[in-house]
Amino acid sequence: MPEGVRVFYQEELERLEASALGGLDMVSTALVRTMEAVESQDVELAQVVVADDDRIDGRYLEVHQSLITLLATQSPVATDLRLISALLHVLKSIERMGDQCVNVCKVIPLTGNHAPADPEMVDLILRMGNHTKALIAQAKRAFEQRDVEMARDLVRRDDAVDELNRECFRLALEIGEDADRREWAMTMLLGARAIERIGDNAVDIGEQVAFVVTGLFREFEDASHPS
Amino acid sequence: MLTEQAPKISVRPEFRSSPSPETKEKVFEMKGIDVLYSGVAAVKDISMDVGRNDVTALIGPSGCGKSTLLRCLNRMNDLIPTAEVRGELLYRGEDLYGPGVDPVQVRKLIGMVFQKPNPFPKSIYDNVAFGPRILGRKQGLDETVEKALRGAALWDEVKDRLEDNAFGLSGGQQQRLCIARCIAVEPDVILMDEPCSALDPISTGKIEDLMIELKDEFSIVIVTHNMQQAARVSDRTAFLMVELDAEDHNRWGRLVEYDATEKIFTNPADKRTEDYVSGKVG
Repeated sequence: MPEGVRVFYQEELERLEASALGGLDMVSTALVRTMEAVESQDVELAQVVVADDDRIDGRYLEVHQSLITLLATQSPVATDLRLISALLHVLKSIERMGDQCVNVCKVIPLTGNHAPADPEMVDLILRMGNHTKALIAQAKRAFEQRDVEMARDLVRRDDAVDELNRECFRLALEIGEDADRREWAMTMLLGARAIERIGDNAVDIGEQVAFVVTGLFREFEDASHPS
Repeated sequence: MLTEQAPKISVRPEFRSSPSPETKEKVFEMKGIDVLYSGVAAVKDISMDVGRNDVTALIGPSGCGKSTLLRCLNRMNDLIPTAEVRGELLYRGEDLYGPGVDPVQVRKLIGMVFQKPNPFPKSIYDNVAFGPRILGRKQGLDETVEKALRGAALWDEVKDRLEDNAFGLSGGQQQRLCIARCIAVEPDVILMDEPCSALDPISTGKIEDLMIELKDEFSIVIVTHNMQQAARVSDRTAFLMVELDAEDHNRWGRLVEYDATEKIFTNPADKRTEDYVSGKVG
């Protein structure tokens, strides 16, 4: 419970932060279901993930509107202003992460219930999913604890996701001559790419952690000028 | 420069201000300023510079010495018999409190606009012409009055009723009239002590727009309780805070942080500034 003056405002800001970061739990749930749907080629479960994305979008709209109201009515400055700015970015990342889960789930029906799945590639995608789930949890923890080091560490962990994505690509190239298998592999590559983007969104959230703490916005890694 | 015989300071060339006092020309340099009333400190050890053509805001809770400090800048505290100023206060490199400095000349160069509009019970014209007349100006008064009223963004509203009593103007118009009266004597610096606290938002907006226009020609120091006003109009912001002695008997103001306004309101260096501008302490 905040102490001092402007208690309502401080409570509202804390509530909105918790609500925004709660969106990461919703994304994590969507990702777990997405991986399950990929593993078992479960078209129904994939459709549940697509339908449930409305909840993530709803959270985005609700918290976004409340943050705009706080900006309009409370004139936040300094750390509060940085926090609100960061939360607006985080919300956008969460909304995108939810959409990426939807992107994966939408390609699952395309491969059919009895897809010529390559177990090695499925395993790679599931590992990407597990890594990405851990990234989402770490991004949330880093934000809650305002831990810049933990936020920076997201880059290292995201590199592992990127590497698995590249392995997926290599496997797809070597999948063989069978047209159905090649089509399946190409479709799953789209899914792998979507999961890889979720990892990037987690790193984006980490960058917002650094902004809230330091007041300086810097990309941890510049995609156009990689180190 | 500050004595009667000194030549009038010429109007500054076009110069857009930027928040970098270390490199830009200074109008005021304060070094270890203490102000005491009856031997009791009201502000202690204030050291800061005020840049030319900047709007510099002084913010802080009630009793932190903002107005006291502002009044030092044109020797208004001289009018209080028990007031004493210690330390070094340079105006354009000259000691403002040095021997031979004429306080009247100081107040001509460094004008002040107060919290409550205080027009004289005279016509609009006579209010603006008052200062130039005192200074012995007889020629070109009409032009001076028009120029000052235009400078205060009031001309279009009063040009057809210059002989009307100033008390017939609205509060916002009266305050702009006081600004016109201030700039009619072509000062170098304008000090403003909560100039919008008695005004509605529209009049406040007009005065704020005016400040931004006036800083092309003048340097402005403003005391305000309105955080957003400081954020909107100033280039640099100084945050003062009240300090108490161990027995809680005496309290005085001290400068906590002085930086570019953007920095103060987005990423202040001191936790006390952060708490104050965020409204978390009074």
